[in-house]
Amino acid sequence: MGPLSRETWAQRLAAFRASPSAFMAGPEGEDLGRDLLSELRSDKLSEQTKVSLLALSLEYPAQLWPDATAAEAAATSLLDTLVLLPPRPSALRRPLLLAATTALVAGDALGPTSEASRRLLPLLLGLASGRDLGRGFGPASEQRPLQATACECLRELESCKPGLLGGCLGLLRGLLGQEGPVQPLSLLLALALRNTLVIQARARARAGLQGLLMAGDTPSGGDPWNWALAEEGDARLQPQAPSWPAAEEECGLAVLEPTPEEARELRAAVAQLLDTSYLLTPVAQAQLLWLLGWALRGLRGQTPVLFKPQLVRLLGTAQLTLLHAVLALKAAFGEALFTAQDEALLLRRLTVAAQHPALPLPAHLFHLHCLLSFPENWPLGPTGEEAAPLLLGPRLCRGLLPSLLHDPMALLARLHLLCLLCAEDEEKEEKGQDWSPRHYLEELLAGLRQRAALDGGPRASATLCFQASYLVVQCLATQPTVLTPLTHGLARLYRARPVLAPHFVDLLDRVGPELGEPLRVALRQEVVSRPGRDEALRWHLQILAEVADGNAQSATLGFLGAAAAHCTDWGLQQALLRVCRALLRAGVGGGLADLLQALARQWEDPDGRDHARLYYILLAHLAGPKLGVALGPSPAAPALASSLVAENQGFAAVLMVQEAPAPIRLSVGPHRAAGPGPVLQLHVEVLEPAYSLELRFRVEGQVYAPLGAVHVPCLCPGRPCRPLLLPLQPRRPAPTRLDVRALYTTPTGLTCHAHLPPLPVNFADLFLPFPQAPEGDKLGFFEELWDSCLPKGAESRLWCPLGPQGLEALVSRHLEPFVVVAQPPTSYHIAIRLPPDSRLLLRLEAAQEDGVPVALRTDDWAVLPLAGDYLRGLSAAV
Amino acid sequence: MAQRAVWLISREPGTPFCSTVRFSRRYPTVEKRAKVFNGASYVPIPEDGPFLKALLFELRLLDDDEDFIESRDSCSHINKTSVYGLLIGGGELWPVVAFLKNNMIYACVPLVEQTLSPHPPLISISGISQGFELLFGVQDFLSLSQKNDTELNTKLNQLPDLLLQACPFGTLLDANLQNSLDSINFASVTHSQKQPAWKVGTYKGKPQVSISITEKVKSMQYDKQDIADTWQVVGTVTCKCDLEGIMPNVTISLSLPTNGSPLQDILVHPCVTSLDSAILTSSSIDAMDDSAFSGPYKFPLTPPLESFNLCYYTSQVPVPPILGFYQMKEEEIQVKITVNLKLHESVKNNFEFCEAHIPFYNRGPITHVEYKVSFGQLEVFREKSSLVWIIGQKFPKSMEINLSGTVTFGAKSHEKQSFDEICIGGTAYLKLHFRILDYTLTGCYADQHSVQVFASGKPKISTHRKLISSDYYIWNSKAPAPVTYGSLLLVRCHN
Repeated sequence: MGPLSRETWAQRLAAFRASPSAFMAGPEGEDLGRDLLSELRSDKLSEQTKVSLLALSLEYPAQLWPDATAAEAAATSLLDTLVLLPPRPSALRRPLLLAATTALVAGDALGPTSEASRRLLPLLLGLASGRDLGRGFGPASEQRPLQATACECLRELESCKPGLLGGCLGLLRGLLGQEGPVQPLSLLLALALRNTLVIQARARARAGLQGLLMAGDTPSGGDPWNWALAEEGDARLQPQAPSWPAAEEECGLAVLEPTPEEARELRAAVAQLLDTSYLLTPVAQAQLLWLLGWALRGLRGQTPVLFKPQLVRLLGTAQLTLLHAVLALKAAFGEALFTAQDEALLLRRLTVAAQHPALPLPAHLFHLHCLLSFPENWPLGPTGEEAAPLLLGPRLCRGLLPSLLHDPMALLARLHLLCLLCAEDEEKEEKGQDWSPRHYLEELLAGLRQRAALDGGPRASATLCFQASYLVVQCLATQPTVLTPLTHGLARLYRARPVLAPHFVDLLDRVGPELGEPLRVALRQEVVSRPGRDEALRWHLQILAEVADGNAQSATLGFLGAAAAHCTDWGLQQALLRVCRALLRAGVGGGLADLLQALARQWEDPDGRDHARLYYILLAHLAGPKLGVALGPSPAAPALASSLVAENQGFAAVLMVQEAPAPIRLSVGPHRAAGPGPVLQLHVEVLEPAYSLELRFRVEGQVYAPLGAVHVPCLCPGRPCRPLLLPLQPRRPAPTRLDVRALYTTPTGLTCHAHLPPLPVNFADLFLPFPQAPEGDKLGFFEELWDSCLPKGAESRLWCPLGPQGLEALVSRHLEPFVVVAQPPTSYHIAIRLPPDSRLLLRLEAAQEDGVPVALRTDDWAVLPLAGDYLRGLSAAV
Repeated sequence: MAQRAVWLISREPGTPFCSTVRFSRRYPTVEKRAKVFNGASYVPIPEDGPFLKALLFELRLLDDDEDFIESRDSCSHINKTSVYGLLIGGGELWPVVAFLKNNMIYACVPLVEQTLSPHPPLISISGISQGFELLFGVQDFLSLSQKNDTELNTKLNQLPDLLLQACPFGTLLDANLQNSLDSINFASVTHSQKQPAWKVGTYKGKPQVSISITEKVKSMQYDKQDIADTWQVVGTVTCKCDLEGIMPNVTISLSLPTNGSPLQDILVHPCVTSLDSAILTSSSIDAMDDSAFSGPYKFPLTPPLESFNLCYYTSQVPVPPILGFYQMKEEEIQVKITVNLKLHESVKNNFEFCEAHIPFYNRGPITHVEYKVSFGQLEVFREKSSLVWIIGQKFPKSMEINLSGTVTFGAKSHEKQSFDEICIGGTAYLKLHFRILDYTLTGCYADQHSVQVFASGKPKISTHRKLISSDYYIWNSKAPAPVTYGSLLLVRCHN
C-alpha cells in the first residue's frame, strides 16, 4: 500500500479505535502494523499525525504485532526511526521511546537474547544518566524531558521484569544526588530498591546490598542489567504495593537480615528519597510512600521512624492519594509508627475527610470505606469485615449518619455505619431516649419506604429502599426491636404498591429467617385478606407463590378460589398455578385438590386446564416426598430462568425413569442345597445409596419358570446387606444365565433404571438332595434309585481326575449333601435330585492316585453331557 | 498503582444510549501485569462499545427502568463507593472507578496486584486512590475556565498528548494536567536540580500575591419545636503567587476578629510545608467552647505557579445570616403560602443579589397567583411551577420581610413536570440564593501584613472576600421535612 494521507490515516485510526477486533478481522487489519512503522519515516506526514500513530501503537501493540518476533521487529524499527531523526527538536523522540518499550514488553520480547532489548536498555540508561549521546538524540533543550522519559521507560521495564535494574541502584542514587530530575529518578530508585530487597529475601541470597547501593556512578564494566535477578523475579511478579492481608504472608522480608553497614546504607538511601519527596507531585509522593513502606516493612533493624517527619504534612492535605498512602503505612507498620494518639488523630482526619463539604462525593465514599476498613493497631473483630474502629465513637460518627437527602451510595455507606453503631448500642440503649441511633434508623427506613411507595416513582428509589432493608437485616439480624417495625413497614409498603412484588421476592430470597419468616407471614396476610380481583392480582400471585406454605391454608385457598375467576389470560393462570405448585410442595392436600379440579373444569385456556389437571393427578397419585421432588427445583436445568421450561424439565426428570450406569454389583453366593427347590443366594453391593431397589430377572432360553422380582428398601455403600434368596423353578435341569435389571431411587429422588451384567446359574446350583433315606438301608435305597433309571434313562462311565487332595476332599467339598452311602476314602454313592423331576446317581468307587472311575445313571438323558462336564471340571474347581 | 485503562464518556441526547465515548486509553504493559497478578480471575479490558453499555447499565443510565433486573436491582447488589463491577462477556470487570459529573462519565480500571476473587478490600488497593486522582485531575482540567462545547472539544483533543505526558505507562505522574500542558510548552526552560515536579517553570515579572476567601453558607431551617435548624460555613482560600525564584518561601496567615468564629476541619494544599498541630486538630466533631483555637492560622508554603486552593475549612457561626420560616398549606388545587425572612443584624446588609426560589414539585403548571410582598418583587414561572422572590441588594431597615399569597395549579402533565421524591404533598422548601462581596461570615480575613514572602522584591498583595449561599433551605413548617441526625440531636441537647 502506498503512502497514505493524513485524512486517510485519521479515518483508518478512527475505524480501528471503534472496534479493534472488527478492524483487524477486516481486509486492512493485516497490514496496519507494517504500514504504521513505515509511515513513521515518511516525509509526507506531519509530526502530529505520526504522534497519533505512535499513540495507537502504545495502546494496541498486541493487535499490531501479535507475537514476539513481530514485536521484536517493530521495536527494532522504532529504534531505527529514532536514530534516524534529524538533530532538531522533534515531538517524536519521547513517544518513540515509549512505543519501543511498550512493544518489547507487551510482545514478550524483552530478554537478554533480544537484539532490540540490547539496543534499548543502554540507550535508556544513557539518556537517564544525562550522558551526551550525540547529535542524533536531539538538541540540549530536549535532554531534560528525554531523561525523564527514559526513567519512566526503565521504571516500566523494572515493573514488568522485577530485578532488572538491581545492578543500577548505586548509579541511580548517584544521579539523584546530582542534577537528575527528582521525581522520575526517585520513583525509579524506590522501585528498583524494593524489588531487589524482595527478590533477595525470597531467594535467601544476598549479593551484597551495600555493594549495590554504593556502586559508583557508572556500572563497573560489563552489563548493568541483572537478567539473572530478573529471571528470579520473573517467576512471580512483584506487587509494588501488595494488598494488606496478602502481604502478611507474602512479603516475608524478615528473613533478610542486613549487616549493620548494609542497614545504614539502606537507611541513607531511604532517607535521601524521603527528604526530597516534597518535590514530587502528590500522586508520586503517594507512590513513593507505598513502595518504601512495603520495602522496609519487617526488615530487621529498620525502624519506620524515617517516615515520621512526613506524616504531619501529609495528614493536613485534602489529597486522596496522600491520605491513602498514610493508611498504607499504618497498615504496614501499625504501632511501630503510630501511637494510640496518632491513630486517634488519623481517624479524626479520616472522619473529617469523609464528610468535608469541599471534597467531592466519590472521595467522601472512599474515605468512609477506609474508615470502616481502618487498619487498627489492635483490631478486635475478625479481619476482612467492615467494622467501626474502636476509637470511632458515636460522637465522631455524628456527622456521618445518613439522611434522606443523600445520594443513594452515600446513604447506603452511611447507613452501614449507623447499623454498626446500633449493633454496638444494643446493650447500652436507654429506655425512653427519644433519638437513639435506633430510632433514627427507624425513621430513616420509614422515609425510604415512603419514597418507594410513591406511585410512578423511579425504580431506583424502590431499589434503594430494599437495599437499605437488606443492609439493616445483615447487620442487625439479632435485634427484634429493629426487625419488627421493619417487617410491618415492608408489609405496609406492599399494600401501598404491590407492583414492587419482584423486589419483595428478591428480598425474601436473600435474607435469613430472622426477617424472612415474619415477613412471609405478614405478606401472606396482606395478600389473602384482599378480595383477589384487583388489578394487582398478578403481583399478589407472585408474592403468594413465594410465601405460600402449609399455614393459613383455608385463607390462601379461599383467595385463590376467588382469584381463579379473574385469571382470564394465560399469564395470570400460570401465576396462579405457580402458587398451586408451591402449595403442592408444601404438602397442602384436600382443599387444593378441589381447587385444581375446579380450575381444570373452569378455565378455557387448554394449557392452564392441562396444568391444573396435571397437578391434580400428581397430587392424587404421588406420595408427599416424591411430589416434593417432582415439583422442586429441577436438577436437570437449574440455570433456566423460565419456570415453565424448568418445570417441564423437572417433570421429565422426576417422573420419567432415568437410564443410568449401574451403581450396583450383584454376585452369587455359596450354593444352598436344602428346601423344596433350588435357591440362589445373591449378594448385593452398592456404590451409592439406593432406595426402593427392585431387581428384575429374566431367564435366558426360558428353561426356568419366570422369576419374581426381589425388593430391597434401602441399600447403603459399606453397610452389608443380608443375602437375597432367589428361588428358581427349573422347567428343565439346565444351567442358564439370568438377565438382571435394577430399578431404584437415588438420594436426589430420581428413579433410575440400570442393566446389570448377566448372572450365571450353574448346573450344580440346581442340585438338591433326596429326602432322607431310611436309616439302616441306605444302600438299598440307593440301589432302588439306581435301578429305576433304566431303561428310560441313560448310563455312562467316565474318569474323574483327582487333584492332590484326593477323593475324600473332593466329595466333602462339592457333593457332601448328596452322599447316601459312604465308605471313605475310596467309595461313595451319591444321589442328586434335579428339579423339576430328574435324578442323577453316581458311584465313585476304587479311587486311584490320580482319579476315580465314576459310574453314573440318570433318568433324563439330556443331563448326561452336563453331568460329564461337571465331573470333569470338579478337580479344576478345587 | 497503575491504571489499566481510562475512559471519558459524554452524555448526549440523540446518540445511542445517549452517550458517546469521547476518549479512551489503554495501557498494555499494565494489562500484561494484570494478567499475571489476577490469574484465573483476570478479565481483559473490553472494547469501548461493550464497556460503555455495561457501565451505563450499572450506573442506571440506560432507560430500561421498567422491569426489575436482578443483576442491577437486587437488594444485595449494594454499592457504597464509586467503584463498580461490570458484567462483561461472562466475567466481572472489577474494580471500575467511575462517576458522573456535569454530563460526563469519568472511568478507569486500576491494576490490582493479586487475585480478584474474592475481591480484596478497596483500601488495600493503591491504584484506587490513584485512579480517583487521575479522574479528578481530568475533570478539573476539563472544567477549568470551560465555557462552551468548542472549548470542551479543544480540551478533549489535548487529552491524548497530556496523558502521554502525565500518565505515559498507566502510572500517574501528575494529576494536575494543566501542569503537564505547561510542561510541554515550557520544554525549552533549563531546569535546576531542585526543581519540583509540580512546578514546570519559574515566574518572571512583577511579584504579586493574590488571596481570595470564598465562604459558602448552607442551612436547613424548619421552624419546628422538635427539630433544630442547622447551618454551616464552608470556606475556600484561593491563592496565586507570582514570585521569582524556583522555590520561594511564603507564609500566609488567616486571621479572625475578636468575635470571629474559629475555623475547623482545615484541609490544606500539598504545597504547605508544615502545619501547626492546633490547625490539624481543630475539628467540627468536637463541641465548641471558648478554648477553641482561633488563629492566626499560619500556612508556610512554597507555591506552585498556577492558582491553587490553599485550604478549605468549615466553621460553625453562632447564628444563620438569614433566619426565616415558610408555611405552606394545601387546599385542593391551590396552596396558601406565607414566608418570613429576617436578616441578622451582624450581617453586612449589602448584597450583590438576594433571591428566594420557591418551587412547587409534583404539581401542574401555575395558573394563578395572588400575593402580597412587604419588600422586593415576585416573578412567576408558570410552566416551571415556581416563584422567585427577588429581594435585591438590601433588606429594609426592619431587617424583616414577608410574602403571603395563594397559588393555583393546573392539571398535572407527566411529561413536563419533573418528579421529586422528597417534596411530596406538603413537604416543600424555599431556597435562598444570595451573595455578599467583601465579607465573610466567620470574619476570616487575610491582610497585607499577613503575608510573608522570603524572596527578592516586595510583592503587591491583593485580597478578596465573598460570602455565597449554597444549599440554603427553609422547609415548610406545616408538613414533615427531611432531617439530619444533627438536627434531632441538637434539639435533645437544648431541651
